[in-house]
Amino acid sequence: MSTGIRVTADAGRCVVSSLCVYRAPAVFDQDDDGHVTLLDPRPPVEHHEAVWRAARGCPTRAIQVEFEPS
Amino acid sequence: MSSSSTPVSYPFAWDPPLAVPDRWRDLRDRSLVEVQLPSGDTALLVTRYRDVRALFSDRRLSRNTARYPTSRISPNNDLFGDPEIDSDPPRYLDERAIVTRAFSARRLEALRPLVWQVAGELMDAMDAGPRPADLMEAFAFPLPIRIICHMLGVPPGDNDRFRALVDGFMSVTKMSAEDVERCRAGLWSYLDELIEAHRAAPGDDLISELIRVNTTDPNALSDYQLQHWVRTLLIAGYVTTASQIGTSMAVLLNQPHIVEELRQDFSLVPGAVEELLRFQLMGASLGSLRYALADIELSDGAVVPAGSTVMLSVESNMDDTVFENPFELDIRRTENHHMTFGSGIHYCAGAALARMELQVSTEGLLRRYPKLRLAVPKEELARPAGGFLAAFSAVPVDW
Ligand code: HEM
Ligand code: SF4
Repeated sequence: MSTGIRVTADAGRCVVSSLCVYRAPAVFDQDDDGHVTLLDPRPPVEHHEAVWRAARGCPTRAIQVEFEPS
Repeated sequence: MSSSSTPVSYPFAWDPPLAVPDRWRDLRDRSLVEVQLPSGDTALLVTRYRDVRALFSDRRLSRNTARYPTSRISPNNDLFGDPEIDSDPPRYLDERAIVTRAFSARRLEALRPLVWQVAGELMDAMDAGPRPADLMEAFAFPLPIRIICHMLGVPPGDNDRFRALVDGFMSVTKMSAEDVERCRAGLWSYLDELIEAHRAAPGDDLISELIRVNTTDPNALSDYQLQHWVRTLLIAGYVTTASQIGTSMAVLLNQPHIVEELRQDFSLVPGAVEELLRFQLMGASLGSLRYALADIELSDGAVVPAGSTVMLSVESNMDDTVFENPFELDIRRTENHHMTFGSGIHYCAGAALARMELQVSTEGLLRRYPKLRLAVPKEELARPAGGFLAAFSAVPVDW
């Protein structure tokens, strides 16, 4: 059994650092105000490392990642 | 904190010029260190990464340093706070959100070609000028100010006048107190005129956008707040970026094997820029001054007493519990969540812009000048005494 991840991002906490968008552009995007949006809440495994790194690096911890059995 | 030792003077000296201060190494032996600021006042420096990162998001620390009896950085604290402006949540976040719109990745990437163009023009002028050239004067200062001028919608014909006023006000050049004051007054009235001009004839620049938002948004900025934000962008975004461009090139040129690696593979440049930012070559923690509204306990049990002035240490970028071999410049570091742009709700609004300017500068200079080198022995690179930003006053280069 492989494990997937589920990503959530709280635009209300986002301070528009753009860090996650540069780190994992396949998963994170920004709305017109620059606040985080999700392109893919269940990204394939090749993006997992970048997503974890984006979550660790978010200045306001606006990104949550959890494991999800698939 | 009951500390019997005398406070250490801050910022720590870089001596010799390209060597990390010895103080950076043992700083984290204690979680809280009393330091003396250039004004003579003292502050508590929070030294460990874990505490620093947590405290950047702790609402018990106020950024309203001009409203509380906070220690002063310099005898004249003008650059660092305005009692008329509330810099704490919740109000501040709405204001900040109006400004940060202009700094999303998409908006900034649209500017990247312009940054390349300006860099190219500056290098053309360097080619045509005398050698050796001073990289600070020829490249590092003009690049960020021209980009800010563009963003603010300063007409190109005003660029030189504008820069002279900003340089004078920021004391980039050595000037008497009266001349600095004259530049400050001149800059403030220039900004008034600029805002009025954009009100009369809006364009697609940041000031026009702030004005536009103002007419539609119930949370509108007052004229005073609008002025304040424009000033903040200048103060926070110009000399900082210029200093980092100049000092990081000096450090790179002093490590030719890294320069060689970058020339072989320019896709390494963003990682190198990030690592040079982690080294925080030109700065100090003066930007992260806070006032403690309550007692705050650190992870080891030490307490920041209510009423004290606190700085969140950027030297925590050298915390070996977080960064492996922290004193080694490793351009391939992947887990590089340094504190150079701060953290939490005041995270540098211009960080992505600064990164882009640094990337273009580094790649542009290395591509254009295959033999770029320091034109003086590294011991002769001088940092101005008593400056807030410990950038080199000049970085002479030849090629
Ligand atoms: C290498 C260059 C730069 C460095 C090292 C730097 C560093 C910082 C730091 C540490 C803070 C946080 C201050 C605090 O916590 O109180 C900050 C805030 C800020 N920076 Fe930068 N900065 C740089 C470039 C820029 C640029 C290019 C701009 C814009 C043009 C900019 C605009 C701002 C603004 C507006 C703030 C205030 C944000 C807030 O209070 O919410 N900075 N910067
Ligand atoms: S890293 Fe965090 S603060 Fe930065 S854009 Fe992404 S969600 Fe927003």
